[in-house]
Amino acid sequence: MVEPSLVLYGGPYERAMDVLEETLRETGARYALFIDRKGFVLAHKEALWAPKPPPLDSLATLVAGNAAATQALAKLLGEARFQEVVHQGERMGLYVDEAGEHALLVLVFDENAPLGKVKLYGKRAAEALARLAAEALANPPKLNLDTQYREEAKALLDELFGN
Amino acid sequence: MSTINFANREINFKIVYYGPGLSGKTTNLKWIYGKIPEGRKGEMVSLATEDERTLFFDFLPLDLGEVKGFKTRFHLYTVPGQVFYNASRKLILRGVDGIVFVADSAPNRLRANAESMRNMRENLAEYGLKVEDLPVVLQVNKRDLPDALPVEMVRAVVDPEGRFPVFEAVATEGKGVFETLKEVSRLVLARVGSGA
Repeated sequence: MVEPSLVLYGGPYERAMDVLEETLRETGARYALFIDRKGFVLAHKEALWAPKPPPLDSLATLVAGNAAATQALAKLLGEARFQEVVHQGERMGLYVDEAGEHALLVLVFDENAPLGKVKLYGKRAAEALARLAAEALANPPKLNLDTQYREEAKALLDELFGN
Repeated sequence: MSTINFANREINFKIVYYGPGLSGKTTNLKWIYGKIPEGRKGEMVSLATEDERTLFFDFLPLDLGEVKGFKTRFHLYTVPGQVFYNASRKLILRGVDGIVFVADSAPNRLRANAESMRNMRENLAEYGLKVEDLPVVLQVNKRDLPDALPVEMVRAVVDPEGRFPVFEAVATEGKGVFETLKEVSRLVLARVGSGA
């Protein structure tokens, strides 16, 4: 199966941001990310009080890699899937849940956020985001990029990597 | 398929460095990381064993700049080359937009090159992809070895039809590293908007 491109735009994007914001508010988590299974960030939200987050690219990539490995482990054990994954350290924790077939919800929380709430509202958010992802996949926005895009990008390649 | 984030006006591409163990995939990424200026790269993540063999993947995000209002970014990955890490290798290919196949010029790695290419074809097939459907660039690395095989001999076992662009490289010295990356990036970008 060729991986479809999950593109959030307009209404679905706004609703995804609302879901992330509400989840932060209800759980007390620091950061909420909606990422695709390839490890790209589709939308993210930070709590107003939270310190600067770690690099989101690295976070999303590692979570996606971890989720892929977890799913492969589930299959090895004859399970269709292992759903949520929780990692907890002394101060920080990470909650990851499937948001449908092609995306993941990631919550980063500290010791002040009750794990029960994180799991409860995380599960609800993942379900809402799964519906948004399905909607976005069914109605992908059209990208009007033409030869001009390719020409300009090529000029930037020359600049970055030399002629 | 690229990932487009309309809200942040970003287009992201995933490029994977594939090839047999110790052919120089991580060395390519380390060189790139060392040479790309700050502000155009993110942090490099390496999931490696204590003896610096890739265990899961290396990851390096690069920022090409803004094109027609879209920030254009490349996510570079390596796979673990060692044969027994195939389960991990397969996972990294998910959603790939372009591939650099790093082959080893050493005579005793000729078979490993061929086996790695066959393995890549099998793993791509699990995602419904064929090598012919993707931008692939062949990098023949370690050209500085005293007994390096002729490029054509290496190519004959991994790309007998001569389909992929070929670059000779000495990744430890950076020779051919940018040239390879530039070509695969160009091929990947050429597919944008073409419906591919």
